[in-house]
Parts: sequence; structure tokens; C-alpha cells
Amino acid sequence: MCTYKLSKSELVELQNKRLRWLVKYVFDRSPFYRRRFIENGIDPESIRTKEDLRRIPFTTKTDLRDNYPLGLVSSDLSQIVRFHASSGTTGNPTVVAYTKQDVESWAELNARCLEIAGVTPKDVVQVSYGYGLFTGGLGLHYGAERLGAKVIPASTGNTKRQLKLMKDLGTTVICCTPSYGLFLAESARDEGLDPKRDLKLRVGVFGAEPWSENTRRRLEEQFVESAHDIYGMSELNGPGVAMECVMKDGLHVWEDHYIVEIIDPNTGEVLEPGEKGEMVVTTIMKEGMPLLRYRTRDITILDDEPCECGLSHARIKRILGRTDDMLKIRGICVFPSQVEEILMKTEGVSPHYQLIVDREGVMDRLMVRVEVSEDFKTDRLTDLVNLQQKLEEELKDTLSIHAVVELVEPKKLPRSEGKAQRIIDMRKI
Amino acid sequence: MIKQLSVFLENRPGRLANLLNILESHNIKVLAMGIAEAGNYGIVRLIVDRKGEALEVLRGANMAVNETNVIAINLNDLSSAVRTLGDANINIDYAYTMDCQRVILKVNNEVEAIKALSGAGIKALEV
Ligand SMILES: [Zn+2]
Repeated sequence: MCTYKLSKSELVELQNKRLRWLVKYVFDRSPFYRRRFIENGIDPESIRTKEDLRRIPFTTKTDLRDNYPLGLVSSDLSQIVRFHASSGTTGNPTVVAYTKQDVESWAELNARCLEIAGVTPKDVVQVSYGYGLFTGGLGLHYGAERLGAKVIPASTGNTKRQLKLMKDLGTTVICCTPSYGLFLAESARDEGLDPKRDLKLRVGVFGAEPWSENTRRRLEEQFVESAHDIYGMSELNGPGVAMECVMKDGLHVWEDHYIVEIIDPNTGEVLEPGEKGEMVVTTIMKEGMPLLRYRTRDITILDDEPCECGLSHARIKRILGRTDDMLKIRGICVFPSQVEEILMKTEGVSPHYQLIVDREGVMDRLMVRVEVSEDFKTDRLTDLVNLQQKLEEELKDTLSIHAVVELVEPKKLPRSEGKAQRIIDMRKI
Repeated sequence: MIKQLSVFLENRPGRLANLLNILESHNIKVLAMGIAEAGNYGIVRLIVDRKGEALEVLRGANMAVNETNVIAINLNDLSSAVRTLGDANINIDYAYTMDCQRVILKVNNEVEAIKALSGAGIKALEV
């Protein structure tokens, strides 16, 4: 692996140098970006440093859709060695194209991610993200292989087989979504296994959906020794854009490959570190389909303070939600992660929940369905009423809107083996 | 002192039937039942003949179930029992009847309650 332990000034210098390369590269090769620059009267020569980036318009998911399938490819098509695609819920999927060098970088970044979470060549890494058009599986697969670890390409589903592989091959590192992690832990217990005793899971690499500190606590109590958050998206290669180091206090973004800005999603204004907003990423190493100021639609906070682990790559906080997952209820923004955070710290309910929004007349209503945990001990109705009221009060405090809590029986809510289906929006708008 | 099973159930048609079906299919007999409900959910309180097995099969069916200590007395003793407990400053949280002859009482302090009752010559029954 090449060294990524650079000083802050080395990093900034490298970023500016690579940014200048990128701007010239896309201006010369991408009809899309060339037109953008000309239409906005931007001289590519005038973009010298990160600060100059602000003059360049954003690239959005809509740009990718409008130019489907390959309109944003910058390199010569003969240089492309791989396509991935993310499913579009409406219309065309988003296609991303990789050169050989892009696949190399992707492997390198995922290897770094595993390394800073404490994974070593001695580990047995079970990759239980989907393989195929989705980037999760292959990305971590390459990373683990690059690091020299032993890889089990288990992919998703078939939970019984997943557990058997873990047990028989002595898996020490699991890569999957956090909800699937909890599901695996639960399934293991159903099979009479105690994951903490009967399995050897040291490190969990959990991503592809937002999760919370409370989920970490549960994962570490029930499943793995140390649970780490990984971030990425196919437009930016896939997983491996950012990763939690052993300090587990924010995710290091690989700044020699990506320039991160946080903006106000409504005005587009660039915010200061410490302020919450939408993450915008410029890929300064990608050749196949580089993106300038790509709006990720993920909400987070940038932290540029030095990390105790010694890495100078800036950190982002856990993803707080997505601008498009964000539910607007009576004009107020609600993130499922906020609801999750409250439910998870409350005794007597399980980590599984469902948010249901509907409309009565002109009023939006939010209902939160929560499972009573199997070991909730009471014969008194008042305990249940108090639990419900306590949850409703805390939701009101956090969300600033009233939510109705409905308690349901254990294991009654749907379990998802991939991204959790937790939101049902029944409003007809 | 006897053990009651308390089961959390959603307040929807068929949930109680499902609970009783599970017990019946294991030949567990329900001796007494009380229901407390609050809107979308409730607690079903049961006295059964084979408590240990009932706990096991209900947990196996993913139900939130637990045990609670209750007291059974003869219906004939009811008014004097209630008076005795009131005099001893013991609260009755809830009560329900069993086979028209007995009453199940849940109190806030079973040990003191049994002491007070036996002092007044009232017998706490076994099932
Ligand atoms: Zn660190």
C-alpha cells in the first residue's frame, strides 16, 4: 500500500495539485464539464486551490440521470474496464465507469479503511454486502484482498449459511449493513449460539445505511468486539470514501482522493467545519467518471481537528440522514436516525421500528411503531402506558413534532436483510 | 402464593385467540384470565395448570411474557380480605375471579398480605 500518513500541509498541497490536474482533465475530455465551464464563464486555469472550487457549479444526481448512461465519462471509453450501477427507484439507474487505475485506487482505499480499523493480514474477512452491480461487496472484497487478509465472499442473504461460515472458517471481521449485523446476532441466538462466545468476530465494518451510537453499543454487546462505520457511494467508487479509525470518533475521509465540502442544502452556501449540512465531494483521482462538487445528499458535519490516531485526513461525523430520506412532516425535517437514537437508548423496546406518515385532512401524522422487547417484565398496564408516553415525550423534544407511539409485539415488524425498510409514507401529495 | 403469567398483546382481533390456541395445542389449561387494555395494546393475565411449560411455549412463539406473584382466596372471604388488607395498608393493584368461587388478587406486597390474611383467619389458596 502507498503511504497515506501524510501531514496536513502535504495533504493540502497534494489536493490542490490534483485539483488542478482534474479541472484541466475534465475540461479537455468531458463534453459535459467543458460546457459547464464555458456556460458559467469559468476559466479552468483560474481554479488553483480548494477555495476556488466554490465558483464551480454542483454536479447532481439529476445530471447523472439526464446524461444516462455514459454522458459523464471523461476518459476514453477504451480505458474503461468496469461498470457498476445503483438502482434508481424511478427511471434510469445511475451507471458508473471505472478505469483500471480507478479499480486500483478503490482497492487501495478499502485496504486503508480496514487497516485503520485494526484489520491485519491475519484476519478472516467475511464480506456480507451484495456482490454484483452494487459496489459494497466487491469494494470491501478488493480492500481485504489488497491488505492480504483471507476473504469469504459470502454476499447477502442465506443467514444460516452466513453463521455456519463464520463458525467453521473462524471469521474475525464481518462487513455488512448494521441492520443485517443485528439480524445476524439475533439469528445466531435463535440457533442457540452466543456470538460473543461461539464466534470470533473482532471487527465489524458496517455501512450502506445510517446508524447510531446506540446501534454501535448493541452491536458491540451482542455481536462484534469493535464496530466501525464505513462510508461510500457508487458515484464516488463505492465503499471506502471514509472510515472510522480505532478512536471511533468520526470517519476519516481520504483527502488525497476526495475534497469534501459541507453546504447548506437549501442555499448551496459552503458551511464552516462543525456546521451540519449536505456533504459535497470532488473526486481528485478518478479517471473514468470524475465528479466535481457532487452533491451526495448525505447530511453530516466536517471535523478538521487532528485525530488522536495520528492521521491528518479530516473526519466527518456519522451520516445523520439523507436530504431525500429526510421526512418533511408539517414543514419540519425529521431524520429516521433521530428516532432510532431515542428508541435505542430506551429500556423495554427492541431496536426494530417503523415510521409511518399519513395525512388526515391537511395535517400530517407521524406514527412510530416499536416492538416491546421480549424480556420486558411487567404485569402492569401503567408501565406500558408510561413507556409509550416517555417515548412520545422524547420524540417531541427531539423532533419538535408530536409522534404517536404504537407498541407492537416482539418480532412483529419486518426484518430486512439489506437496507432496512423503515419508512412508510402514505401521504398523497 | 401462586404465579400468574402476564402476556403483552396487541389489541387486534385474533391475537388473544392465537395466544389461547398456542396453550391449547400444548394441552395447557387456562384456569383464570383477566385482560387490561390501553388503546392499541393490552396485558393478558393468566393462571394456567402447567406454568413452566406455558412460559416455554409462549417464549418460543416470541411473546413478551413474564411471571407475577398473586394471591388466590375464596370468594366468600372477599369482603373481609379486602378490609384486612386495607387495614394493613396493603394496596390491591388489580383482581379477577376464577371459576366463580375464587378471586385472584395482585397486591403491592404479597408476603405482608399473606401474613395479614392468615392473621384474620383467611386462607391463601394454592391452585
Ligand atoms: Zn483517527
